[in-house]
Amino acid sequence: MKQLSEILKEVAFGSLSSGEAEMVIGWQKGPFWWQSFPAFITDPGGTGSLIWDPFSVSNLSKYLLKEVPEKKIALFLKGCDALGFNQMLRDGRVDREKVLLFGIPCDGLVDPARVEAAGLSKGLLQVKKEQEELIFYYKKGQRKAPARDFYYAKCLSCRYPNPVIYDQMLGEAVPCQPVERFADVSKLETTPLEERFSYWSRHFSRCIRCFACRNVCPACSCRECIFDLAEPRWLGKANELSETQFYHITRAYHVAGRCVDCGECARICPVGIPLAELNRKFIKDINELYGEYDAGADLDKEAPLLTFKTDDPDVSSGS
Amino acid sequence: MKKIAKEKLALLWELLAHKATLYFPLQEDGAVNFAPWKNGAQVDFGVNSIVPPKNVFFPQAETYLRFKTGAKRLQLESVEPEEKFILFGVRPCDLASFNILDKIFLEEPTDGLYAKRRRLGTLVSMGCNEPGETCFCTSFALEPAFAPGADVMVWDMGEFLLWEPRSTKGEALTAVINELLDEAAPEETAAAVRLRDTTAAGEAAAARQRGWNTEGLQEALRGKFNDELWEKLYHRCLGCGICTYLCPTCHCFDIQDFSRDLEGERFSCWDSCMFAEFTLMTSGENPRPTQKERVRQRFLHKLLYFPSKFGLYACVGCGRCVRKCPVHLDITQVIKEAGGVVSGS
Repeated sequence: MKQLSEILKEVAFGSLSSGEAEMVIGWQKGPFWWQSFPAFITDPGGTGSLIWDPFSVSNLSKYLLKEVPEKKIALFLKGCDALGFNQMLRDGRVDREKVLLFGIPCDGLVDPARVEAAGLSKGLLQVKKEQEELIFYYKKGQRKAPARDFYYAKCLSCRYPNPVIYDQMLGEAVPCQPVERFADVSKLETTPLEERFSYWSRHFSRCIRCFACRNVCPACSCRECIFDLAEPRWLGKANELSETQFYHITRAYHVAGRCVDCGECARICPVGIPLAELNRKFIKDINELYGEYDAGADLDKEAPLLTFKTDDPDVSSGS
Repeated sequence: MKKIAKEKLALLWELLAHKATLYFPLQEDGAVNFAPWKNGAQVDFGVNSIVPPKNVFFPQAETYLRFKTGAKRLQLESVEPEEKFILFGVRPCDLASFNILDKIFLEEPTDGLYAKRRRLGTLVSMGCNEPGETCFCTSFALEPAFAPGADVMVWDMGEFLLWEPRSTKGEALTAVINELLDEAAPEETAAAVRLRDTTAAGEAAAARQRGWNTEGLQEALRGKFNDELWEKLYHRCLGCGICTYLCPTCHCFDIQDFSRDLEGERFSCWDSCMFAEFTLMTSGENPRPTQKERVRQRFLHKLLYFPSKFGLYACVGCGRCVRKCPVHLDITQVIKEAGGVVSGS
């Protein structure tokens, strides 16, 4: 069977050379073993540089807000990316006719920090995945280890390893065994209020206000964000804890019901704020109040926070 | 040269903390950052901090003026730092970044608050035993295990720290803790010299292998304002502030007011050329309308404009942006692709 990375190059070449797409968004490799980054290819001859490897973690669909095609853009979507794409579609921010989607089944990607923590990063040249194993290549020799031991936390709780939307699927569907995703939230819910407040205050006090969490988020698709406005300046530019709390809480509320739990915000936070826990608290509350709802997956269901019903649990009885 | 046994470090921290505010790389929730030490805090010299220690001299937000009105005239009150402090465990790359910040804040018109803090602070630098994968300080004529600007230079030798005072401030600090120090044996001093050599040679070799070199870089970049390099690079940039806020040399700032009713304060705060509104003018005009111009500005500022004006690159090769950029927009690749000459090839 052909390697997925080869199929990916072929379809990219095909879509550009046939003229069906004017741009392909995929991943390319940097000089370090952990550097796989978004690449924007318009020349069919450039598609040979595209890769798929255990570090192809960037969600490419968010770029559809910036790269507006005349014809079509072809791009690759993993399961998590597909949820984000669907949410952008539902929010009216992308045109389905202007994209060509290649689905990639993905059972998890590698967190470089876990490789480092395991003491495997020194002199490491390349990491490849074969079946359930990772192979670590060094100047002299190689080592093998179970792949799942190195996956991002977000991948271990992934429930949609196979894209829910695509034009063409590249490869066989993969099974998933997600770990319980609300465990951390449930634990937080039972801690006393003061403790919870100090937990979040401690984390938010590390925030440097880089806005990476917002910029990477597929649910953050506003044309103009209130946090960028100078007039009125809703968010003060002083890095004060109260302002930072205002930012994070407002952000979480604004994506509530639209957050697809892709975990990108928490993954790229440079100071390790557990933003996924905040998002999952909202998801859990919505599920408990209005019934199970998966943003990005349940396209046929009404979005709970965008609909009003007289029997909604938060509607006052009027007595 | 002196030395201090590791089991005496707790005593050392106590002693120093009595004399001045003591900034250390502290670990909290797995993240290492410089913060004032207090009893029970977890000091971590194992990795360099996520956020560079520039914020000790150039805080992310700092009030410098309080104002009040309502009486006959506007009342103004300036705010000034008074506290002496010790910045302990600064890596040589970050220490070199202070020289770069000095060019901005100590030239006329001098930033009084920055200048005062530079006077109040004593810098204890810790040499790197093993440069990280993304370290390239040697590309900017720096050494991983030696900081010429340090008041005290220390090296972690396993069982003990070697301690070398290097300035009047450093001598004064050494006098305070003298009871905890022992004389280092000649072979121990020699080990520090060896460490300097091996770390510098190792890092330089890795940089050569990766094709990073700054020789001729300014000349190479001079004609590249309209180069297609920027077109190629910018698409993937998310426009976040990670690279600039984690950079020890980035120094752009804004001035803002926070006011309520008839009183308020005026503060300076970090700003980032990666943000769309950084150069947005009142008229609505933006001279850097897309991320392409912003990305180009960041690299050209560090590698061409700053060295043209001040004679040194505004990068110390700490590798934070290389490590933390979510889309791997890697300055070492820019240096390589822009055509710095690779020496010895």
